[in-house]
Amino acid sequence: MFSIYKKDLQSFFFTPFAYIVTALFLFMFTFMFNSSLGDLNQPTHYFSFANIFYNVIIMFIFLIPILTMRTFADERKFGTEVLLMTSPINVVQIILGKYLANITVFLFMLVCSLFFPIYASIKGEVVMSQLICAYLGFFLWGSMYIAIGQLVSSFTENSIIAAILGEIVMFVFLFIDDFSMTKFIAQYPGLQSAIYAFAAQPRFAYFSQGFIRLSDIVFFLSAIIVCLVWNYISIEKRRWNRG
Amino acid sequence: MITIENLTKYYGNNRAVNNISFTINDNEILGFLGPNGAGKSTTMNMIAGFLPMTAGKVTICGSDISKDPVKAKKNLGYLPEIPPVYPDMRVREYLSFCAGLKRIPATKKSKEISRVMELLKITDVKDKLIKNLSKGYKQRVGFAQALLGNPKFLILDEPTVGLDPKQVTEVRNIIKDLKKDHSVIFSSHILSEVSAVCDRVVIINKGDIKAIDTIENLEKQTGGSLILHIRTKGSRATASEIIQNTQGVKEITKVNVEGDEAYEFIAQLEGDGDAIKNSIMKDLLNNNVQITEIFTEKPDLEAAFVKLINSKTSGGMKELFEEYKSDILESQTENAEKEGNE
Repeated sequence: MFSIYKKDLQSFFFTPFAYIVTALFLFMFTFMFNSSLGDLNQPTHYFSFANIFYNVIIMFIFLIPILTMRTFADERKFGTEVLLMTSPINVVQIILGKYLANITVFLFMLVCSLFFPIYASIKGEVVMSQLICAYLGFFLWGSMYIAIGQLVSSFTENSIIAAILGEIVMFVFLFIDDFSMTKFIAQYPGLQSAIYAFAAQPRFAYFSQGFIRLSDIVFFLSAIIVCLVWNYISIEKRRWNRG
Repeated sequence: MITIENLTKYYGNNRAVNNISFTINDNEILGFLGPNGAGKSTTMNMIAGFLPMTAGKVTICGSDISKDPVKAKKNLGYLPEIPPVYPDMRVREYLSFCAGLKRIPATKKSKEISRVMELLKITDVKDKLIKNLSKGYKQRVGFAQALLGNPKFLILDEPTVGLDPKQVTEVRNIIKDLKKDHSVIFSSHILSEVSAVCDRVVIINKGDIKAIDTIENLEKQTGGSLILHIRTKGSRATASEIIQNTQGVKEITKVNVEGDEAYEFIAQLEGDGDAIKNSIMKDLLNNNVQITEIFTEKPDLEAAFVKLINSKTSGGMKELFEEYKSDILESQTENAEKEGNE
């Protein structure tokens, strides 16, 4: 597992890949940071990092698929899947190694973004509890998206298709709560609550307000586990259906 | 030892491999011969544990590949048809990754990597990106990967495809050397390659095993009788009589008329070809028959294989060769008769 983790990290960090994705992420973050500062002529500024995160997440549905698109698609394309499958490791280790590598790049992005809270706390005051909760929520949300992206990547050997499919799925997940609030869905309360149960956004909202609720953590973790298990099934299924 | 029992693979309704069984003994090179699309790669993928089998069982050193894959794969090195290399990695980096996959302890890693690089002569490209390497080098990097960790069994799927003749010889020599402490299964559709390297051959076509035998036996069955060609000038009756009556000549299978009093005789021999040749030459010259050309040749092994592959029965090797020989004889006598009539 460790060797796969290491190899994937190398493929991110020994190439410009991780740095470009991080730069793009920071660019968005700066953009949101600046726009939430608002009118610079006023003596004091109030803004919430949670709001910045929320706005960044909309951009995230373009960023995360780029990160995850190559995870399994490239292994298939280069025929290196055979190497992994015939080595004395099992599929679970392959999936976890790759997932952890993707998560590490994501953490690297988050660590880089710490510049803003640190700068803000030097120049002003930051509500630490809220900030930590926002970061935790953001991390969980991102981890879930990475699991989704990785799953989608195992469906195809074309990384571009994997990226686009991933974007569509993430887009749906981002706006599913708005969808459940539409008048049409509201006619069927059962359906509405069923769809709403899949919404990640209201759960993130709790984190951004400074609540750490067990149910929210369970939601994100179970979503990650479902995606990874599905990932396992999809890889095994293709082995059986080949030809 | 690898035991393969009743291995079957269906792709949908297509049967790729049909109920094949054989074993690979320790320190043996087993050739896997068959035309393209015969099911060679599918079988190898199943032995290596990449493809699940529809039915049957593969046991590697006592562990079943589908029940205990991790343990079974520890004894395996596999080079697939397309070398499984990452284009964006450097050769050394790639081998180091593979060593990790094969769980080679960190202390032995760099020594092991140098060993395989040395063996396949890729040390001078160790810092190059794999995507910049030629096909032959990529193939060798893939081969090096299979050798990492000194696995007991090596499965090589057409390891010499795409190499230049010099490299082919090198790779063949490496495979021969590996015999000392490995067992090798290696597939090819080139007969000469298999006969140069392997101890035993499995011949497969359309998913069925056509024959399993040693190279020596194959050669005995086909090469046991030499074929003699003589071109003469002089009386046909005299020449024919002399040739027929020389000891060691089984029969004259064909006579070609090549001009006025010029003939080509084709005969089947038994025993020492040179002695027979000398005796025939002496007798012919003593009887005023001129010899313009005389040579012996082995029956074409390649043609025998083609025949074997196309045969419907999957019986023993011997029967197939007998059948092949009698067919050839029949067609030759038919031709001779035709010409005689003309």
